[in-house]
Amino acid sequence: MKIQWFGYFSLILALIVSGQALAHHGWSGNTGGDIEITGEVISGVSLAGAHGTMQIRDADGQVWNITLAPGPRTHRAGLRDDTIPEGAEVTVHGERHEDPDVYEAKVRRVIWEDQVFDVYPPRN
Amino acid sequence: MYEFMAWLEASALAEALRGLGIWTYGILNLAHILGIATLFGAIFLLDLRLMGLWRDIPVAVMARPTVPLAAIGFVLAVTSGIMMLSFNTTEYHGNPFFYIKIPVVLVGMVNVAVISRLPAWRRAVAGEDSQGNDRGVLAVAGAASLLIWLTVIVCGRMIGYW
Repeated sequence: MKIQWFGYFSLILALIVSGQALAHHGWSGNTGGDIEITGEVISGVSLAGAHGTMQIRDADGQVWNITLAPGPRTHRAGLRDDTIPEGAEVTVHGERHEDPDVYEAKVRRVIWEDQVFDVYPPRN
Repeated sequence: MYEFMAWLEASALAEALRGLGIWTYGILNLAHILGIATLFGAIFLLDLRLMGLWRDIPVAVMARPTVPLAAIGFVLAVTSGIMMLSFNTTEYHGNPFFYIKIPVVLVGMVNVAVISRLPAWRRAVAGEDSQGNDRGVLAVAGAASLLIWLTVIVCGRMIGYW
């Protein structure tokens, strides 16, 4: 019985330890400072998933992944899947990713033509 | 791993779920929490009993409601979890909490398979008298289960904060 248990625990331990090596790749670390980006919408607002998302291309041709508020909240702010057409020019205000090589920003505000969508409360 | 993630993200399941409306993710999240609550609530009672609490309640009596409830909770949590994951699977690539959580869930399944085959467990759920070191064996099995599921829950909760 003792030997049986030793084998059992070795198995458990081996399975736990053999998990993968830890790789570093932040996602929630949008702490790279305030940013304002103006660009063309290349992938329109999608409200599926944990947060709403969109993609814009800035004047330098850089594509940014934009994270909005959770779906229902973004929707309530007036920003729907079909509100802003692809190709439109928008300006977003938010915080960029902590890694300067990652073109990703979590935004509070989206401005399109004369419309302002505050998906999170504006900062004073 | 990345290939599998990309496959799940592009699957018909993911496509269908994305088209179901803005509350879909929140509802899946709710189902996931209910599954976890059911699984962990049941397993917590059983594991503590196996570890030596409430000796006046026979293991067989404790196992009757807790084992099926844990199974139902597990299926609910896994199903809703895979569905939530399919929305944006590749975003979890490289997330250490995710890469610990999934293997430990598999360890938890192996643990269930092993425990259910232990003579000590079989005697206990059949209501037979315990023999030799049965108590010690079951206590260790209960402790292992508790450690495994706590690890899964901690890692699961932390995934979104990485």
